Amino acid sequence: MKKILTSFAGMLISVTDLFAQQDKFDLLPAASYDRFIVYQNLVIFWIGIIGLIVIIKMKLKEVERIQKMGINKEEKNIPVLD
Amino acid sequence: MNCPRLKNWFWERYNIDEIRDLVKQKSVPKHKYEIWYYTGGITLFLFIIQFITGMVLSFYYVPHFEHAHKSIIEIVTKLNMGWFFRSLHHWGAQIAIVMLFIHLWSTLLLKAYRKPREFVWVSGFILLGIAIFFGLSGYFLLWDERAFAAVRVATGGAGNLPVVGGFIKAFLRGDIDVTGDTLTRFYAFHVGILPLVTFCLMVLHILLVQYHGMSVPVSIKKEKLKETPFFPNFVYKDLIIWLVMLGIVVTLATLVPPEIGKKADPLAPAPENIKPEWYFLFLFQTLKLFPGEILGLNGETIAILLISAGILFFFLIPFFDRKSQREERSTLFTWIGLIYFLYFVLMTIIGFIS
Repeated sequence: MKKILTSFAGMLISVTDLFAQQDKFDLLPAASYDRFIVYQNLVIFWIGIIGLIVIIKMKLKEVERIQKMGINKEEKNIPVLD
Repeated sequence: MNCPRLKNWFWERYNIDEIRDLVKQKSVPKHKYEIWYYTGGITLFLFIIQFITGMVLSFYYVPHFEHAHKSIIEIVTKLNMGWFFRSLHHWGAQIAIVMLFIHLWSTLLLKAYRKPREFVWVSGFILLGIAIFFGLSGYFLLWDERAFAAVRVATGGAGNLPVVGGFIKAFLRGDIDVTGDTLTRFYAFHVGILPLVTFCLMVLHILLVQYHGMSVPVSIKKEKLKETPFFPNFVYKDLIIWLVMLGIVVTLATLVPPEIGKKADPLAPAPENIKPEWYFLFLFQTLKLFPGEILGLNGETIAILLISAGILFFFLIPFFDRKSQREERSTLFTWIGLIYFLYFVLMTIIGFIS
């Protein structure tokens, strides 16, 4: 009797699992902790992007400053020291 | 990292000084419309994202009608970061098409297509068409009911074209109706044929831009123009914009992951209130404006003929705009461009709301 009941319960669980299949799927990790990690990484990602933009901007300013001074062009016929 | 031995090894075999000099000499005109020069670069960057994410997804996608839908669900739910790559691919495609449209209209309104750059316009326009077909074929790979109905409508619409319509429809579907064969065919288009054609056309487009140099609007050309060196100034600015775009795409991919509908059933009727992707909405809405029959002729065929004529005229604008060819201001074609733009935006908005 115990075996029959257990197998029946197993069948019931399998069948309900079939019916309980979602029409919509979790498009993001389902657990709230995982989601938090995802959003946290997004913030870190943006900080990284902003950091890179600041570095490139600084580099660009430096390039423009050198170009303004006119010392970026290679002079031809420079005497070689060696 | 400085490796003089490696550098010397390379230099002894390949003399890239000429390329270096070419890059150093290249400059970009500086004027009030220069911001539009960046739209092409952004599109290129988004295409690169598409290639990378597409390659990753193709490792796991199964292009068979029985497994396609399930394989996408597995990519999203079971694979580590699978949801992210799929979402990135989706949003990358959407924004790439937006950027392509912006690039197209900025080229049109600034008359950058004028002599001698007609083929730059032609290659770019074909690239836009390919990108839209990329979108449609990629959308169909989902094999959900919305995508299925959208492809049925799109291929059916193409079938309404006189003379060639039947052939195009059969060629796209690979069968009488949209079936598993269509999925195989669209997969081949999406991962094989279209990327190859896109790559070739993109190389041609970029080479033509390099050959002709950046176009300067007619209104500005007479003034004394300042120039910015392409390297490093323009490249650095491009990098900044690419980083911002990457941030936007990643944010959208994370916060608004695209939905997956129910698995397509070829025998089921199309779901109610079905709408195509946003870049087809203006066509969809235009088709709605036409009655079923006009003077005994099929209304849809007439609508598709008119739309095709409109698109063909748009494609051939560089050859019609004689004033721009003579480096004169061409107000008529500015208005034509604006009318096309307003029609596209208005119909897309109405399509969304209705």
